[in-house]
Amino acid sequence: MRIGVFVCHCGSNIAGTVDCKAAAESALSLPDVVYATDLMYSCAEPGQAAIEKAIHDYALTGVVVASCSPRMHEPTFRRTVERAGLNRYMFEMANIREHVSWIGKDKVANTNKACELIAMAVAKLRNDRPLHSQSFDVTKKVLIIGGGIAGIQAALDCADGGIPVILVEREPTIGGKMAKLDKTFPTVDCSACILGPKMVDVAQHPNITLYACSEVEDITGYVGNFDVTIRKKTTYVDWDKCTGCGACTEKCPSKNVPDRFNENVGLTTAINIPFPQAIPKRASINPDYCRKLTTGKCGICAKICPTKAIDYERKDELINVKVGSVIAATGYDLMDWTVYEEYGGGRYPDVITSLQYERLLNASGPTGGHIKRPSDGKEPKRIVFIQCVGSRDKSIGRPLCSGFCCMYTAKQAVLTKDHIPDSQSYVFYMDIRAAGKLYDEFTRRAVEEYGTEYIRGRVSKIYPDGNGQLIVCGSDTLLGQRVEVPCDLVVLAVGINASKGASHLAEKLRISYDQYGFFLEGHPKLRPVETNTAGVFLAGVCQGTKDIPSSVAQGSAAAAKVLSLFARDKLENDPQIAHVNAARCVACGKCIRCCPFGAIREEEFRGQLKAKVIDTVCQGCGLCTATCPQGAIQLSHATDNEILAEVNQLCQF
Amino acid sequence: MPVLEGKELRIVAFLCNWCSYGGADTAGVARATQPTDLRIIRVPCSGRIDPLFILRALLNGADGVLVSGCHPNDCHYSAGNFYARRRLEVLKQFLPILGIDDRRFEYTWVSASEGARWQQVVTNFTARIHELGPAPRLEDAEPLLEMAEMALKPLRPLGTGQKAPLDELKNAIKARIKDLDVVIGWQKGDDDAHTIPLFMRSEEDVDRLVWGPFNVNNPATYVNELIGSALPLAKKKKIGLVVKGCDSKSVVELLQEKLIDKENIVLFALPCEGTFDMARIDRELGRYLKIDKVEYDEAGVTITADGKEHRFCIADYAQGKCYNCSMPLAKNADESFGDMPQITGTPVTPPELAMLDAMTLEQRFSFWKGEMDRCLRCYACRNACPMCVCRDYCIADTREPHFISQEWSVREKIYFQCIHAMHLAGRCTLCGECQRACPVGIPILALRQQIARVISQLFDNYQCGMDPEATPPLLCYQVNEEHIKQREL
Repeated sequence: MRIGVFVCHCGSNIAGTVDCKAAAESALSLPDVVYATDLMYSCAEPGQAAIEKAIHDYALTGVVVASCSPRMHEPTFRRTVERAGLNRYMFEMANIREHVSWIGKDKVANTNKACELIAMAVAKLRNDRPLHSQSFDVTKKVLIIGGGIAGIQAALDCADGGIPVILVEREPTIGGKMAKLDKTFPTVDCSACILGPKMVDVAQHPNITLYACSEVEDITGYVGNFDVTIRKKTTYVDWDKCTGCGACTEKCPSKNVPDRFNENVGLTTAINIPFPQAIPKRASINPDYCRKLTTGKCGICAKICPTKAIDYERKDELINVKVGSVIAATGYDLMDWTVYEEYGGGRYPDVITSLQYERLLNASGPTGGHIKRPSDGKEPKRIVFIQCVGSRDKSIGRPLCSGFCCMYTAKQAVLTKDHIPDSQSYVFYMDIRAAGKLYDEFTRRAVEEYGTEYIRGRVSKIYPDGNGQLIVCGSDTLLGQRVEVPCDLVVLAVGINASKGASHLAEKLRISYDQYGFFLEGHPKLRPVETNTAGVFLAGVCQGTKDIPSSVAQGSAAAAKVLSLFARDKLENDPQIAHVNAARCVACGKCIRCCPFGAIREEEFRGQLKAKVIDTVCQGCGLCTATCPQGAIQLSHATDNEILAEVNQLCQF
Repeated sequence: MPVLEGKELRIVAFLCNWCSYGGADTAGVARATQPTDLRIIRVPCSGRIDPLFILRALLNGADGVLVSGCHPNDCHYSAGNFYARRRLEVLKQFLPILGIDDRRFEYTWVSASEGARWQQVVTNFTARIHELGPAPRLEDAEPLLEMAEMALKPLRPLGTGQKAPLDELKNAIKARIKDLDVVIGWQKGDDDAHTIPLFMRSEEDVDRLVWGPFNVNNPATYVNELIGSALPLAKKKKIGLVVKGCDSKSVVELLQEKLIDKENIVLFALPCEGTFDMARIDRELGRYLKIDKVEYDEAGVTITADGKEHRFCIADYAQGKCYNCSMPLAKNADESFGDMPQITGTPVTPPELAMLDAMTLEQRFSFWKGEMDRCLRCYACRNACPMCVCRDYCIADTREPHFISQEWSVREKIYFQCIHAMHLAGRCTLCGECQRACPVGIPILALRQQIARVISQLFDNYQCGMDPEATPPLLCYQVNEEHIKQREL
């Protein structure tokens, strides 16, 4: 073997604390290394050209690049060596940036470590074998999980691109959180007016199949060929027959049902349609409150329904679909703010969340768009908004900034003044974060045109004064004094988590998530839409806090990723999968037992049973290799010999 | 490779590509200062990590080994880290019996977003290893030879088995031998004080079958070669096996692992009253030319060798496993004669293991250096093992994969024992054939006993070879492991 070693300076990123020249020189003493040099920027065009030239000039058969993390540039350099005629897997990287130069300043120790990491990479490379991909067919269909604005945008873009879309929504209607909003910042245009047409487009688009009231039960398979099981939860109404006329909701005798769509401010009926613009506009029964389902006596809706759509015996349905790609757009939920005892812990009816307040402002909300406080239905005149409730608060383990609260609080203050001209709004804030286009201008307007009083400080306590008012005690850190604001209503800007169940979905999709449940992107800057599972993309707040324009943008971005994936008729598999050496296999079946993907089966081979890997199903985890006692099943590019070579290189007594 | 003298120690880390390697990258991007000792080997998944990699590193002079994977439930491959957790925990608890401080090995979980946590893990683990100092080298260890006191109080009266209904058993075998290719048992060996395997193919063969305390070897060793899963389908036989209680566990284990089919094997069982530890008997007999006769009584045998009488009481000269035996009669036999003896008391720590338990880490390290120095690398331990089904494909005999070299060193000899022990983890029925077969009498069973003890403690008193329907504990997992305590790093 003829190995070339290239040590990257990465400008001063590596060279600042590693002697790259010395590292390259030391590599020359390693077995099979015939050429070693240092490069200023190996990933830049001149660097790549130098590698290609060296492969040609020195007839190299393997290449080691010591630079950044392979998670960063391994694909880049694999293409480089491939252009020069090598197999892309005859390449190894030594991570001397993230794992060396950036984590310590001791140049002697760093250089020594870099030399050793290069030696490990060379040792592994000497055991590498060329690998070849196989191509397989793609199911050109996409599953989009979540029908909020991000999912809607992604669905419409994919569908317009000619791709059949399966849109799965957990709630009875799509629209997500945006459908609950009254107006949107910074233009204060009506949320329903801009979202509604898109929702209708989803319903009418020939390429979109919508499953509302449904959840993803299971996903198996791999990029290009996922098998998805969708659980269509029963609504006790045959939606093929239901016309959304609403006759049932008028006659339903069970009228004291908490209204989930209205964030539990106000009541609805046991059979209901969430809101007038719901898509699909179909009725569903809440089984916890339906008299027929709880007591067996009633059945009025079934009698009244003109199309006989109601069926109390209806069961959940499981639907199997094959898709080639998945977009997760599951959005967010509010964190449980009742942990804040100082805000009443949920005991005061007139301390509400901003999302509840949004419903009070909304013309299709429980109060018809008139702001009435929950306790006595009176119009509040003095309203206190408290920001960062469960955001930027290390004391409850939530250091994250929820991102959009500053803006919607300003918007709600503006709307309050529009609704009740003689009202006064107060905002307790920590900092005002208004970094978007026209955002800062908007918050200025809230203060200057609408007279909202911003108080920089935290609230220490809210208590009722006994005369129907609440007293908000806090500090004004700009004036350096305690303040007490008597008010009629308190609106909390509650911080967000990924939506309930996001972590379970992540496990099904085999993607990572953080402590709030937000899905982890492939790279925080350069792969914000991809995940580390090929074929699974992210859109909207499920990836991290975002406002509407960013969610829409990411929805479109995810759609673009799907369209570019589907632009090819065949995909190539990753050849880093397990292979069975049939001669060594004793058919003990241990690999079959523990493979998480069912990618190994027993097959007769020349009259003997042998394990056989199904190439397209194997994901390359290598659990089988670690399990097989006789080493008969080996994961390509992470074989026992390759890993042992690294161990032995490092540990020589 | 020269480590920075006095400054750095050799610390090897195995990181899964998806979470922990990403976490280490995140720490780097955040310029989170870390000690420079650690060298990272990137693997796809923590489930890819063979505990033998870690043992290799530790035996080759690593001062510390760290494994980090995705947090439980977050595995990119959904379950790799669950399997890893079980295997790595077993490994961690195995290390002390070798004389290796288990604090030198740790496994933990770091996600790709946890750069700060990675920094903390590296810093703490490196500090821990520096506190422990350089790992002891085999080269420096002073060899220590010590013998275990093998005799214990048995859980049931031991005897010589001469009242066992052997004739009934023979008749039963004769009745079924026509349908079987072969029935395996024991026959008189070169003399009355030794037996050799008997392969019965006809009724006359059956008459040569013997039963008694000299039936030491485990006939299940032959099962795999006759009906094992690796055989060509056309060549599989139907066999019978005469078994002691302990032998039957091997068969159960093979059935459990689906290495053999129940329909290919018929078990014939008699209650065993204990078998002799032939190594001790031969030591006592010393050099002799001829065994003149062997006389049985209920408590033992009298062997006359070269005219000199030697008395061996079974209670003093039984194999270590017999004292702890709580299953003298196979439970799952097709043809079973005689009664299951009454068992009183609970098993105690086997003598070999108890001896090691009483030693310090340093003494154990020295002990293995001294003992393994005598190893001939004859692989009799492996060849006698009924669970060693790889046979010609043992990784000790190949370079693809190349786990072990041919180097004549204590290191490689110990490593082979580690390979055998790890490959038997969760499978070994403690039949003791490895130790019995060892021609130089190395108490290698202790390594398997330690693993069996760990497995039993970690996985709800799991005993190998009891239930053919059970799943081997290292081939499954639980999301919440009741007995595996996560240690903070």
